[in-house]
Amino acid sequence: MQTTTSLQAAQPVIPLDIGKRAGKYLIFHLGVEEFGTEVLKVREIMGLQDITSIPQVPPYVKGVINLRGKVIPVVDLRLKFGMEPEPYTARTCIVVMRTRQAEEDLMIGMIVDGVVEVLNLTASDIEDTPDFGPGVVTPYLTGMAKIKGKVKILLDIDQVLSGTDLQGLSALLQ
Amino acid sequence: MPEVAASADQVALRDQIDELSTRLILDGVAAISPADFDRLSQSADDFGNKAAAGAAHSIAESLASALPAPDRTRIASNGLMELRQLLDGPLPGRQTGNAAPSPPPPSGTGAAPFAQPREESLAADEALIREFIAESGEHLATIDSQLLLLEQDNSAKDTLNTIFRSFHTIKGLAGFLEFADIQALAHEVETLLDLARTAQLKVTPSIVDVVLESTDVVRQELTAIAQRLAGNEPPTTRFDNHLLERIRRAGRGDTPEPQSPPAVNAAAAQSPEAEPQIVERRAGDATSVRIDTVKLDQLMDMVGEMVIAQTLIRHNSALESTNDARLQRNLTQLARITSDVQRITTSMRMVPIGIQFNRTARVVRDLARRANKQIVFEATGETTELDKTIAEELSDPLLHMVRNSIDHGIESHEERVALGKDPIGHIRVSACHQSGQIVVAISDDGRGLDREKILAKARQKGLIDSHGSLSDGEIFQLIFEPGLSTAAAVSDISGRGVGMDVVRRHVQKLRGRIDIQSKAGEGTALSIKLPLTLALIEGLVVVVGQQRYIVPIFAVREMFRPTAEMLSTVQGKGEMAMVRGALMPIVRLHRRFAIEPHKVNLTEGTLIVAESEGVPFCLFVDGLIGKQEVVIKGLGQQFKSVAGVAGCAILGDGRVGLILDIDGIHQGRT
Repeated sequence: MQTTTSLQAAQPVIPLDIGKRAGKYLIFHLGVEEFGTEVLKVREIMGLQDITSIPQVPPYVKGVINLRGKVIPVVDLRLKFGMEPEPYTARTCIVVMRTRQAEEDLMIGMIVDGVVEVLNLTASDIEDTPDFGPGVVTPYLTGMAKIKGKVKILLDIDQVLSGTDLQGLSALLQ
Repeated sequence: MPEVAASADQVALRDQIDELSTRLILDGVAAISPADFDRLSQSADDFGNKAAAGAAHSIAESLASALPAPDRTRIASNGLMELRQLLDGPLPGRQTGNAAPSPPPPSGTGAAPFAQPREESLAADEALIREFIAESGEHLATIDSQLLLLEQDNSAKDTLNTIFRSFHTIKGLAGFLEFADIQALAHEVETLLDLARTAQLKVTPSIVDVVLESTDVVRQELTAIAQRLAGNEPPTTRFDNHLLERIRRAGRGDTPEPQSPPAVNAAAAQSPEAEPQIVERRAGDATSVRIDTVKLDQLMDMVGEMVIAQTLIRHNSALESTNDARLQRNLTQLARITSDVQRITTSMRMVPIGIQFNRTARVVRDLARRANKQIVFEATGETTELDKTIAEELSDPLLHMVRNSIDHGIESHEERVALGKDPIGHIRVSACHQSGQIVVAISDDGRGLDREKILAKARQKGLIDSHGSLSDGEIFQLIFEPGLSTAAAVSDISGRGVGMDVVRRHVQKLRGRIDIQSKAGEGTALSIKLPLTLALIEGLVVVVGQQRYIVPIFAVREMFRPTAEMLSTVQGKGEMAMVRGALMPIVRLHRRFAIEPHKVNLTEGTLIVAESEGVPFCLFVDGLIGKQEVVIKGLGQQFKSVAGVAGCAILGDGRVGLILDIDGIHQGRT
């Protein structure tokens, strides 16, 4: 819970058009945290399968899988966010996202602890990301949504899955 | 700009005349009516060319009177000739003067006015231009191969007609898209060929030369256009002004009277091959479709998945225990269809190798003439199909190899006579399929490789020790080393010692293997073994811990389980294995890739003797699963810097396996 409270103290680095943020979100969780990502970018959700590991890559890149003839990379979101690794369970799944990286559409799978629901968020549900103070850059947070007393962290998945460093969020979540 | 206007009009008029000539030749005089000449007269009048207008009118009148067909043909063809001269000016050689600018203008003066419409049309008709480039390229290839045939049999009418038609098509398309230079050139060549077709001109090697040169120039122009399309301004290559002149001179060369009437006879007009241009083109379009390679790749992906899915169903335990005969039959049927679909999909990227051979034939001809040697080029197996990418990549090695044969291999005429050999040298290329690979062989009947010369050179370059014996095979392999050339002098053909290492590099890039055989005084034979397609790779599936890897089979020499006696350690860390008397370093794949293996003890696992750039080493893995042909896939941009991995493939069970890059693993072995 402590992490959630500290997240609330931040302010968005990139001011976003509030209206644009409204829409359907896929909510998944990593531990107790709940995150949201635009449903439009979700390609599919699949159970965990054999992942072929790739040498010489950061630990959060688990490897590649075969998605109907296409080979796509898989990222462990827990590791990517610098959270403690947990053993995979029956609820662990791979959310395949269609992201835009360096002018190119790319499919990337992300391993999450479990998928919760799909929420229709209105503009009024979404608040700006609070300011975490100087030195903490959170370009991949688009905002926070408070639904039924629970906070969902909304992610800009293109930023999350880009090659850029995740120092900011990992520092926060530790 | 009156000059420009005149030039453009001249082009238009000329086109009309050309069109009539073509019809006259291809369809006979019956296809020409006086009205055609009246129209021509009208246009000439519009453009202010009174002389041409008058001449055309009188031809129309002569044609209108009832005369027998041969006379009408003569009138029409003479008339067209006359009109052409009226437009050209009496002497083609006078184009430097301003009196009679040769239409279309020679590039020197015509460059500026024609640059403008070209730029515009480039933007406007991009698709059309691309089509034009592709189509012209195909025609040029046809022309090249046909020309070489023509040289052997200079009376072959079909061949001449084919070349003529190809040039005609290029001219027509170039004219339509306002590429005046190409149009002008194609036109001149066409005129020359027309003389040959109508038997007024004997086809000599010099004529073939000039036509071949023209195809090169057109090719260059096409490349320049392609570059402009891509947004790059190519260096303004103005083509040789003298070429047009030379073509014209060649046309006059053997005919004493250039003004003599073209002997268009009924036979030529009724020739069964002489079909109108349009019909031929339509037929070509119907039989082939251009497809984006991205779509082909997607199809390949899906077919691969289909095969996997089919295999999974097939081996499903529930199905295996069933006794339903009908279900079994249907499954067999499905399996058959699936493999057919896979075969067809793979073959869609295939092209016959003949195109490359034609290009090589052309090179042989040119080089042989330059080296003043008589060489006959023979190609067999032109219809052998292989992946388009491989076929294209093969053209450079082929070129270097024939260059070598011509320069180093085949002796001079006198030398051959003195040796009692056939004074004419032979270069043979062949292609065939052999156990799932394509074998391209090049052989010559020249002097063969000189063992001693190669050895001496290699020692001089420090490539080998001065002592120690090498087998013939090993010595011959030395010619693929960079910087080793045995030619006594650097000729403009070869001798700089860059040829054969290029060949090896190309072949290796294509995952092929090159073998060489030579016998002193009898010749040299090179054979290149290549995979049929770059999309598929034959691999050894190996297992290390949880992971499976694919070792490309072309890099594998042998594999075995080592015994303790074979193994030794250098300075406590470098592990070595003694394989058939040779000491080879051992690379542990699990260490290289930092994964948890099942087998740490060398004697429990398997050693694979692999070869990286000719250097053998042992790769240690847990075990082998088997040999499999897999579809190669890229790992994508984000993993492109991963050393030791060439790509990945989907294995039979649907899992992804990484394809090892043996060279990369060997380089980073420390």
